[in-house]
Amino acid sequence: MTNPQQNLPVNVVVNGVRHQVEVDPRLALVDFLREDLELTGTNVGCRTGDCGACTVTVDGEVVKSCLSLAVSADGSEIRTIEGFAGEGEELSPIQSAFWNEFGFQCGYCLPGMLFCTEELLGENADPSEADIRHAIDGNLCRCTGYHGIVRSVQTAAAATRTCNRKRVSE
Amino acid sequence: MTQTIAPTQSANYVGTSERKHNGEKFLRGEMVYIDDIRIPGMHFAGIVRSPHPHARIKSVDLSKASVAEGVIFVLSGAEAAKHTDPIPHFIDPEAFGGKTTDVRCLAVDKVVYVGEPVAAIVARTRQDAEAAVELVDVEYEILPFVIDGEESLQPDAPRIYEHWDDNKIISIPFISGDTEAVFAQAEHILEDELKIQRYSTQPIEPRGYVAVYDSRESSYTFYGACQNPHPLRWVLSHTLRVSENDVRVIAPTVGGAFGLKMHGHPEEPLTCILSKLSGKPVKWIEDRTETMLVGAREQMHRFKVSFTSAGKITALKDHFVANVGALGAPPGWGMVFLSGLAFPTGYKIAATDVLATVVASNKSPWNAARGYGKEATALVMERIIDLVARDLGMDPLEVRRVNLIESHEFPYKTAGGLNIDSGDYHAALDKAVEMIGLPALRAEQEELRKDNRYLGIGFAFELTPESGDIPGTLVGGFDTSTVKMDPSGKVTVLTGVTTPGGGNDTSILQIVSDQVGIEISDARIIQGDTLLTPYGFGNYSGRSMVTGGNAAYLAAKDIRAKLLIIASRLLETDESDIDLRAGWARSLSNPDKAIKISEIAYTVYTLAFATATGVEPPLESTRVYQPENIQHTPDAEGKINIYPTYSNAVHVAVVEVDADTGHVKVRRFGTVHDAGTIINPRFVEGQMEGATAMGIGAALMEHSIHDPATGHLSTNRFKTYLMPRASDVPMFESVHQVTPSPYTALGTKGAGEAGVGGAQAAVTNAVHDALAPLGVTIRQMPLNPQNVLHAIITRETGKQA
Repeated sequence: MTNPQQNLPVNVVVNGVRHQVEVDPRLALVDFLREDLELTGTNVGCRTGDCGACTVTVDGEVVKSCLSLAVSADGSEIRTIEGFAGEGEELSPIQSAFWNEFGFQCGYCLPGMLFCTEELLGENADPSEADIRHAIDGNLCRCTGYHGIVRSVQTAAAATRTCNRKRVSE
Repeated sequence: MTQTIAPTQSANYVGTSERKHNGEKFLRGEMVYIDDIRIPGMHFAGIVRSPHPHARIKSVDLSKASVAEGVIFVLSGAEAAKHTDPIPHFIDPEAFGGKTTDVRCLAVDKVVYVGEPVAAIVARTRQDAEAAVELVDVEYEILPFVIDGEESLQPDAPRIYEHWDDNKIISIPFISGDTEAVFAQAEHILEDELKIQRYSTQPIEPRGYVAVYDSRESSYTFYGACQNPHPLRWVLSHTLRVSENDVRVIAPTVGGAFGLKMHGHPEEPLTCILSKLSGKPVKWIEDRTETMLVGAREQMHRFKVSFTSAGKITALKDHFVANVGALGAPPGWGMVFLSGLAFPTGYKIAATDVLATVVASNKSPWNAARGYGKEATALVMERIIDLVARDLGMDPLEVRRVNLIESHEFPYKTAGGLNIDSGDYHAALDKAVEMIGLPALRAEQEELRKDNRYLGIGFAFELTPESGDIPGTLVGGFDTSTVKMDPSGKVTVLTGVTTPGGGNDTSILQIVSDQVGIEISDARIIQGDTLLTPYGFGNYSGRSMVTGGNAAYLAAKDIRAKLLIIASRLLETDESDIDLRAGWARSLSNPDKAIKISEIAYTVYTLAFATATGVEPPLESTRVYQPENIQHTPDAEGKINIYPTYSNAVHVAVVEVDADTGHVKVRRFGTVHDAGTIINPRFVEGQMEGATAMGIGAALMEHSIHDPATGHLSTNRFKTYLMPRASDVPMFESVHQVTPSPYTALGTKGAGEAGVGGAQAAVTNAVHDALAPLGVTIRQMPLNPQNVLHAIITRETGKQA
């Protein structure tokens, strides 16, 4: 790229809202979300992909948004913690489980923990404790010792299974 | 009155695990942390930091940076010194007979650690500021440096501060009885050493500040990820040469703190002066490599104990050295004082000779870290207990039982002068043994050993003095809360204590809601704003419930008294016949007679000269809580007691050590915790779980390492500074034991600091228990594969580990 500062178009849907903007190609996805779209629920803890506070989903995949560029998300559908429950919706069973089971204290790691739980439960409705720990191993929490988080995921899994059974029986 | 009030009737919320009152805002990503704050016209600061551990600043050339893209202002240390004074020390060592030095927001003549701020940039964007930092030319004259604490004590060590005669900041003795006389008569004597590594708190949210200078008012509004807004205001006003009432400090939601966000950091006044001089609101957000610079906890202990054949410890000597890095203005070095004072924790040892030596080096400064030095004492004492047991071939539990203070001996005055309030340590020990199922584990251990597998069980007792008050400093042991009920019956609580996430806000609302009889959803709480809340010291020392919680309790009781008078008039029954609950005042003898709390509140405000005559409006009360038992007047031995209350815990760890790789796996971890009266069990457990994980990290992996060749911090990312991840820890098993403190209004003892030292000690003892067949003693923390393997290998070749 001869002129790195020439802005490039980005066309994304974030939490169901379409955005067509031009951004600096050096802009990290997390800064695009936080600064340009003012979605500050996504947090920054390290900018090296180690802590997971900046986790979002891009086309359904869990992504650490400090490690990807805004321009690379062009054409994608992105969800941040603000869109976790869905617009105007009640808290999801995963969010409720994190609240009821004390799955967070300072809340800074929540985006990562919520999205990793969602991804895990999408693949495995009845995860073991080891499965849960493996699923959140890329996300650091310094407050809870992970105890409340593991319990939250277990409770969310049980709630999701109940929910699915109801759906099947209906 | 025939009907009695059941005990539960006044406690709707207290004692229950009410979930976080504002949890939904967290879960929807709506909480506002420091980096989420945007002020119109806001610019960004970038900081030029020293690449040298020790060097004289010859010149600072800001000319290229000043014309770089987006840059509006540049500042050198020399220029900053014209506008600011040195940062007052949180706890000045000079006040305790030690040496001190001026700490400035930007270095002026020389730098004393890698990462010390030297110059600053203000630019339109963070990226522009960071790019301009690279354009600043600083010419240094490199000086010899020292990063090892004991080398720094040598007479020929490079002098860090020229006006000092050596690098020792202070030596503080804690002496009781005549240890040498006891040693001379002793049945058994044991000497050993333990090096505790430098490690750090590392909340997931780094530090950050936003300063807004208002030139018309000559005042500052300072938003900061900070734990102590009011004391910070005092520091800023002194550094910035403005009146204290011209500074407003606001702490937004804080993403974890653990001591890191106590103040004295150069970037706090720096952000302010950059705002004043540039004419713009200025934001500075730390990056992780900067957070990693802040250290803590590094201590080298050499101890000697005498004991009887029955396991009774008769004397203890421990002269230890703490390497606190360069002397910073935050309260880091004070941790060492507490390490010394906390000896011999909950054990009855009549003769103690503890000497805490604090030495400066060319590492970056410390700040406070959860445990505040008491974690080091716990580790050393618990290693001593297990070493004594090994020496005598005794059960380490029995050595604990023989030496722990007995429940009938409280209040108990320790050798250090602490006056321990209450507890039942032996019962806690028994509960821990039962919880973990010790006999079955011992059987399994024996079985596994046949296959050369090394299972270990380690116990640790932990005493955590909480809610301290250090005389002559703004480390206060009291706090203030206001409770206001408006004419709609809604409640606002304002308090001087702050929350970095642990949940004291919700717990305070539980206390208040019970007292005034409302639903917790009808109450809100405001913390962390010096303009709005009453004066308070914020968050440290497990103090929030002891001080802010009890102050809110007293204030809410004042409101309750007024509500009961009016309710009694409106319901035409005795005050003692009225239950306040869930938004209603109800007659206990005739439950059909009831009135809404909101109607009572409206009555106070609107019928002040009729129904509410004699009840002073408004429904507002501000109360201070000063716990009992703090004793600042020296006793006959010249000792003072700076802590009102003493939580305690017994920890038990079950580990498996791979003797081929040195890897330690924590299989189980249990805690019996006595935090006195519990307001919210899950919050108390949450504090302990988080601290336990931190202690496991301290035991097994966390280590801040400086390269001895360059003085640079090698472990400056999460890739190199390892902290526990979910797979590194087990579920935590917990049992509460409640012995209320007689010295606090609600009997609370505080929670939050306990756990780090206990967990670190239990894991360390468990590793030694596992490796007992190999006869290994590890003297260098952490017990990472390298150190464990080294100890095993050197032991096998007959060398000293």
